[in-house]
Amino acid sequence: MESAVSISQLVKTFVLKKREGIRWTSTDVKAVDGITLEIEKGQSVAFIGPNGAGKSTTIKMLTGILHPTSGTATVLGCLPWKERTKLARRIGVVFGQRSQLWYHLPPGDTFELLSKIYEIKKDVFKSRRDMLIERFQLSTFLDTPVRKLSLGQRMRAEVACSLLHGPEVIFLDEPTIGLDVIARQELRDLIREWNQENGVTVFLTSHDAGDIQHVAKRVVVINHGRVVLDDRVSRVRRQYLREKVLSVKYADMPEPFSLSGVKTLKESGHAFKFEVDTLVVPIEKVMTEIMRIGSVVDITIEDPPLEEVIAHIYSTPSAAVTDDEADDDIDNDESVS
Amino acid sequence: MNWLTSYLELARAYLRINFKSLLAYRGAFISQMVAMFVNDFVWIAFWCLFFTRFPVVKGWGVKDVITLWAIAASGFGVAHVVMGNALTLSGIIMRGELDSWLLYPRAVLPHLLLGRTSASSWGDALFGVVVYTIFVRPDLPHFCLFMALIFSVAVLFVGFSVFTGSLAFFIGNADSVSTQLRIAMITFSTYPSPIFQGFVKILLFTLLPAMFVSHLPVSALRNMSIVEALYSFGGSLAVLFVGVSTFYIGLRRYESGNLMEMRG
Amino acid sequence: MSKYFYIAITSIRSKLAYLGEIGSKTIFLFVVLYIFLCLWKVTYAETNQTSLGGLSLKQMLWYLVVTESIIMSLPPIATLVDQDVRTGSLAMQLVRPLSYPLNMLANTTGERVLSFSINFAVGSIIALIFVGPLDFQIQSIAMFLLLLPLSFALDFSIYFLIGLAAFWLEDTTGLTLIYSRMTMILGGMLIPLELFPDGWQQVLRILPFSAIVYAPARTFVTGDVPLFLSLLAQQFAAILVFSFAIRVVYAIALKRVFSHGG
Repeated sequence: MESAVSISQLVKTFVLKKREGIRWTSTDVKAVDGITLEIEKGQSVAFIGPNGAGKSTTIKMLTGILHPTSGTATVLGCLPWKERTKLARRIGVVFGQRSQLWYHLPPGDTFELLSKIYEIKKDVFKSRRDMLIERFQLSTFLDTPVRKLSLGQRMRAEVACSLLHGPEVIFLDEPTIGLDVIARQELRDLIREWNQENGVTVFLTSHDAGDIQHVAKRVVVINHGRVVLDDRVSRVRRQYLREKVLSVKYADMPEPFSLSGVKTLKESGHAFKFEVDTLVVPIEKVMTEIMRIGSVVDITIEDPPLEEVIAHIYSTPSAAVTDDEADDDIDNDESVS
Repeated sequence: MNWLTSYLELARAYLRINFKSLLAYRGAFISQMVAMFVNDFVWIAFWCLFFTRFPVVKGWGVKDVITLWAIAASGFGVAHVVMGNALTLSGIIMRGELDSWLLYPRAVLPHLLLGRTSASSWGDALFGVVVYTIFVRPDLPHFCLFMALIFSVAVLFVGFSVFTGSLAFFIGNADSVSTQLRIAMITFSTYPSPIFQGFVKILLFTLLPAMFVSHLPVSALRNMSIVEALYSFGGSLAVLFVGVSTFYIGLRRYESGNLMEMRG
Repeated sequence: MSKYFYIAITSIRSKLAYLGEIGSKTIFLFVVLYIFLCLWKVTYAETNQTSLGGLSLKQMLWYLVVTESIIMSLPPIATLVDQDVRTGSLAMQLVRPLSYPLNMLANTTGERVLSFSINFAVGSIIALIFVGPLDFQIQSIAMFLLLLPLSFALDFSIYFLIGLAAFWLEDTTGLTLIYSRMTMILGGMLIPLELFPDGWQQVLRILPFSAIVYAPARTFVTGDVPLFLSLLAQQFAAILVFSFAIRVVYAIALKRVFSHGG
């Protein structure tokens, strides 16, 4: 298989000047400390890590914004910082803080502009735009100024913008941040579809465990500028992402609760916090039981925070799972919500 | 030549979308334009009064100074109508917004400059042409030369704005320094050139190239001299070159990540 | 010991932002005064005069120092009043008609005096460098010090009126812009009234603009008693007229506020 992204011993050192009292001190900060990675065309990779782990720096080097201190990286056969404009035609980017959409105008106007920036032929542009409008369901708000759109609508339009010029690789930085549950799922589905049906390589960074599970097939965890884990999502899920945390509040004291695979983390008055091992018992069964034993006033279901997952990665010996079990899970992946 | 047409197409697309964006808030746009008109007109009024009392100063009459104002205002206006981000370049650099522009398959500087239009500059651009037509009443050859000189002065102002904005790559607090330099430049550009002599005159041909706005273009129009117009354009190109070079030198530093504190 | 040094440095650093503002004023004044020095030098030379409009070159530059200092010291009076009208905080004080304008006057005048002093100090240093000291007379300074606060009060009353227009207008910035520009031109900021075309001078002496800018500046550079007295009269008259206008507008505004339920 051809390589989409090929990174070898990539290092980026910054010189950070800090002011302490009245003196200036200069320290070398190794934001990226020797990353080696190979991503094939058509793969869907989640690149996760805590803040300051080196994710953004790596992406900036892959997209040609930053020059590395040492090491190499090629994206689609190009050296990003040397062939920036050539590569820019073939990659798409969605960065959380950066919006391509013109705020006071409808998304359609931004599409027009992008066709001129990327010099897309008129007929190609028209057909691709119409296809994106249909697949991303943008027609209802295509003529509405962006400032009047909901965040979910805006993000769909943003991702559509990044695909307009038909890139072979897309880099997404925290695309689902701030979205509500439904919008988040819609966006994840769209990205995953685009990867599977159009063969676009997806490189996603996120803080959200759900993003990882529903968009990517492979997850790379980095911390302190180094790759800490590089494995299939299914295997990582099985090992580290199997738990869900349920917070329930009842109207009055419920019947006693016991179900294998469910651990009571906390209880105070009528409020309970459960930890559910989804590989032992499906969430559906737990929910049914919870609703049966009492009258529920409030319920929240959360993934464990990523920082906990990463801490867990550090402390748990890996490969506690056989290959066969992992393969079974790949088939089950799509069906889990 | 292909790249030239490509970038002209890009400029047209940006001008269209920028204008459309301004129209979304028509009221504010019009009032900003009118405000600029009023501002500029105050100076025309001043000069009319001055030249009523002192009809000729160092060979300059009221028509000359109005011509000067027209070229300066429209030159500045056109520069920042088309390339509005030249005015906010230092802010763009300091806020790390350069990164967004680096993601496009276009040369960074021209692309980012096109990205915005300055609403008030539309007022300046129109003002110069209106005032020149009404007060000076030129014939067709003069008017054509006038338009060409506006283009030349616009190039100069873009170059100078890019230069001052690029200082953000090298010094902190570049925003206020850059603003001061621009104000000084515009101020010196709008006074009759012969009043400046000696050392200052040299300064105004070099570090603060106001003479390429106040001296050469006005002289070219008085004498209908293509040669002087070419000299003027040459000066503008030199300023543009300095500005663009400064930017790209600074960009190299930026891409090596030495401006960490600025990137948030 | 280093702790106190650090505190001192931090305190200086916080003043730096303030100094930066003074720095930019200095540069601006330097550029303007220098340019006008060049312009007037050339004009005096070409007309072969030592006195234009009753002023020597030296006096002309010092005249400019005062006018620029006055214009540049303007606080955002109209904006403040406009905001108070729109937020309704003015309406709450309408029952005691005197306190609001006087409060606003006190606040903004303090700001204005400080700003003027800084501008004037900077401008003076620059003028000293360019043309040397003026032949000061105690009486001209005294007259100047009398006219200046009246000039501020008059300017205030007009901007205050403009701010009150917020009761009826969507946006008062247009009015503010026009008035400020008229003050610059018709108030003699750049050229003293004497050099205006003859027909204009009569009219301009009646209009309030010259009472604000020209009056203090002219008195400062040439302490002319008859002129001073006529300017004083002009200022008083203008202040009376505009104070009366404020009272009238206030009454109308009050009616409007109460009819709309406050």
